[in-house]
Amino acid sequence: MSERLSPRAALVGGLLLWFAVLGGVSAWAVHALAAWSIDELACEAGHDNLAGFPLTGAIALAVLLPAAGAAAALAASVLAWRRVRPNHGDGDERSTGRAHLLAFVGLWLNTLALAMIALGGVAALVLPPCQR
Amino acid sequence: MSGRPDRLGTTAGDLRTATGPVGLVTEEPVGRSTAWWGMTLFITTEGTLFAALFGSYFYLRFQHGAPWPPDGIAEPELLLPLIMTAVLVPSSLPVLWAEAGIRRGRRWQLRAGLLGTLVMGGTFLGLQGIEYSEILREYTFTTNVYGSLFYAITTFHGAHVTVGLLMVCWLLAASLHGSFGTRRHERVRVVGYYWHFVDAVWVAILFTVYLSPRL
Amino acid sequence: MSSSTAAERGTGPDPAAMAALDSHWAAAPTLRNWFATVDHKRIGRRYLVTAALFFGFAGASALAMRTQLAGPEAGVLSAREYNQLFTMHGTAMIFLFSTPMLFGFGNFLVPLMIGTRDMAFPRLNAFGYWVFLFAGLFMWASVPAGAAPNGGWFAYVPLTDERHTPGLHLDVYTLGLLFLGISTTAGAINFIVTALKLRAPGMSLNRVPIFVWAIVATAFMVLFALPVLNLDNALLFLDRRFDTRFFEPERGGNVLLWQHLFWIFGHPDVYIIVMPALGIVSAVLPVFCRRGIVGYPLVVFSIVAIAIISFGVWVHHMFATGLPQLSYGFFSAASTVITIPSGLQIFAWLATMLFGRIVLSVPFLFVVGFLVTFVIGGFTGVMFALTAFDQQTTDTYFVVAHFHYVLFGGAVFPILAGIYYWLPKITGRMFDARLGRWAFWLVFLGMNLTFFPMHVSGLLGMPRRVYTYSGGLGWDALNVLATVGAYVLAVGLLLVAIGVVHALRRGDPAPDDPWGGDSLEWATSSPPKPYNFAVIPRVRSLHPVWDPATAESTGPGADEDRILAEGRRTLFTSEFDGRPERAVEMPEETLKPLVAAVGLLVLFLGLLFAWYWIAAGSGALVAGTLATWLWPPHRAPEEAGMTT
Repeated sequence: MSERLSPRAALVGGLLLWFAVLGGVSAWAVHALAAWSIDELACEAGHDNLAGFPLTGAIALAVLLPAAGAAAALAASVLAWRRVRPNHGDGDERSTGRAHLLAFVGLWLNTLALAMIALGGVAALVLPPCQR
Repeated sequence: MSGRPDRLGTTAGDLRTATGPVGLVTEEPVGRSTAWWGMTLFITTEGTLFAALFGSYFYLRFQHGAPWPPDGIAEPELLLPLIMTAVLVPSSLPVLWAEAGIRRGRRWQLRAGLLGTLVMGGTFLGLQGIEYSEILREYTFTTNVYGSLFYAITTFHGAHVTVGLLMVCWLLAASLHGSFGTRRHERVRVVGYYWHFVDAVWVAILFTVYLSPRL
Repeated sequence: MSSSTAAERGTGPDPAAMAALDSHWAAAPTLRNWFATVDHKRIGRRYLVTAALFFGFAGASALAMRTQLAGPEAGVLSAREYNQLFTMHGTAMIFLFSTPMLFGFGNFLVPLMIGTRDMAFPRLNAFGYWVFLFAGLFMWASVPAGAAPNGGWFAYVPLTDERHTPGLHLDVYTLGLLFLGISTTAGAINFIVTALKLRAPGMSLNRVPIFVWAIVATAFMVLFALPVLNLDNALLFLDRRFDTRFFEPERGGNVLLWQHLFWIFGHPDVYIIVMPALGIVSAVLPVFCRRGIVGYPLVVFSIVAIAIISFGVWVHHMFATGLPQLSYGFFSAASTVITIPSGLQIFAWLATMLFGRIVLSVPFLFVVGFLVTFVIGGFTGVMFALTAFDQQTTDTYFVVAHFHYVLFGGAVFPILAGIYYWLPKITGRMFDARLGRWAFWLVFLGMNLTFFPMHVSGLLGMPRRVYTYSGGLGWDALNVLATVGAYVLAVGLLLVAIGVVHALRRGDPAPDDPWGGDSLEWATSSPPKPYNFAVIPRVRSLHPVWDPATAESTGPGADEDRILAEGRRTLFTSEFDGRPERAVEMPEETLKPLVAAVGLLVLFLGLLFAWYWIAAGSGALVAGTLATWLWPPHRAPEEAGMTT
């Protein structure tokens, strides 16, 4: 554990952990906002395309791109959770314990986020976009 | 693992340590003051307010449908808003310069920088007054929802500029009084943040209110 | 039950340091200091008492309404009075009771639980209290004046626009909530910064008590949810007063905008109310099971998950408004998934009870009351997730029954548990347990008797918010039951109040740790000294009071940098790992927060009565007060870092 850490590596590592915690739910927020506003506003205006681009295609993008983001965050959180193990008796036990907890929280947050995006995708497959 | 990566291997080595146990437990952000956190959180909640306001603009606009602006109102003129942008956005630079100065203990630089921001911000408000005096002849905030949105968004931002300018005045007064130096300048820093926020909101307004109806 | 005192545990540095701490922190008991105090414990107590007072007003409104509804075609209240009472009942219970009450607990407890001496911004804390008090009085004063809000607590347009509801009613609503929002936002920022920067050294995030996690998550939700409500209210005020057209369809406006903005705030607000209450449960329940909470990381996860996902479910309040089915789909996904973290907490508590040794004390009784009612409320909540059922029962008494089970179960029972649990710490007095048990059973039975019949009357089609109804529709007996229940409930709540007063007057002195609790508030005296801890503890585990190493850290031989007796000082630590950073000076008593709050009160009165020059003048007063409040202290050039 005596490895030297450059400031840049420290910054990247710290931010990576936050991506592992909050990346999935951020992706879900983008998904929910984008998919909903595209659908509702386009249908309200009475067309099934978005400046020439088919509406279902736009919604599919609003599902797939965030899903990829959430999956990446999930991978990061699994990585962090496995690599950071609290080691009792170690002098730096505090940071490891804290990082392990955050990675654990992130792991489940990302799983839920991915599930919500997937469920939204299922809805988009089943329902025609403008049916009321 | 080698503890000391050579120059060529630095990036790869950094990435490896960053994703290793030592890198991942880095505490970040860390060592900020309570004032820094307080201002950051305040800007966050204010930013949410503006986001909701812009969201309302687009919601009302798309629910309304074409034409937008409605009722024969012309598309917004761009010349004056672009001049206002050219005045307001660079006004962040004097604040940054002032803060850099006080970090090195140069009080004159702090004062000059704040004064510069004050002049630029004041000019912006003056230009906004000119813009209103022209547009009010065409429509007011009671004409229709477009007028309501236009005046609400710009006035609300103008109020924020005014508050920001009051803060800058207050800083200027305090800096004339002494009390800031290389070690004590957290107030300069957080007021600077608020001013940058006000600038950033204007850029969003430029896009939302002035440019997007032309898309 | 263990009852060790601070002396036994050896708290306390040498007497000279104790005397110095006293002289720096204790304020002389003068009238000025009563108004000028910045002590988080006094402010917390005031929040609790004031919120309880507003609860009393709102409860009295409910009793009046239940009396009117006891029989068909009754004449106790006119339709106008009834509209104002049910609106004020809802608005006050949501905005003036639940959140301030829980913020009161937070104010009192967060600095104690994290082992520090005050909030991060003590003067802002005082300001927040005064604003809350004035905003509450501002709104309640409209009731005797006959100008109280009357459009329901969510005030839908077009009912609430100028044309359909003239008069001041809705202006009191919009301005009152904007005024109150200042207090809530200030409190939220204060909680977050306090929890990030002032935790005792060693308290890394994985050792933070669940209650503090809950308060911080709530504060983050406030920061993102409240601005949306503020915007909504500001737009409605502009529409009503200055004839803007945001909600006026004839001029291009849209009434659904109100609902969207309201529920973007409103659904997170349900969790803003319930989350800190669940935090109270997580603090109280394990102590009476004689073990730590089961699955601490899972409970933390569930708090964070609920705080975030609750922002993506708002459209489920609007399943009856005719949006595209697919956009319902996106929100149904979130509404379904959010049940997972919510359920997790319930199972964590059940497991804690299962693996623990239960002590059936009064606070624990209220926790059990919470579990039962909250789960029933959750059941009926799941029923609304079926869009078809939702459309059938929208605006009936079934909805009233549902959210009273959720909110009375989810907020009032935990609050009552918290009152009994922390009363010894807050007042230094023990309460009468027999009186407490009577209060519990009356509240529990009264609550169920009031609200259970409403499920049935709702299914039988009784609409909510009607001031009377005709007989013979099958609702009569159910309404009598509900009214009787309301009076039983009122007697139970009165017994709680009597119990508190009795404890204050006649109660036995409370030991420092009457329950054998695990968090740091039990490591100091009851009531705590103005500086909370003579030695700031060094935390070594999640249950510091049960952990001998942490207890030892406050004993003799503590290092000077955790005593900090020269001046009114406390310790900053790093954001996530709790490493000591530096000692900081805390502010003294000041009247400026009160002056600023009075200025705001005059400003809002000026806006209400259209005295705009007075409003502008008091705005200037507020700005001037803030300018002197935040004015940098004079420093010698060397201290500021100037060499010349």
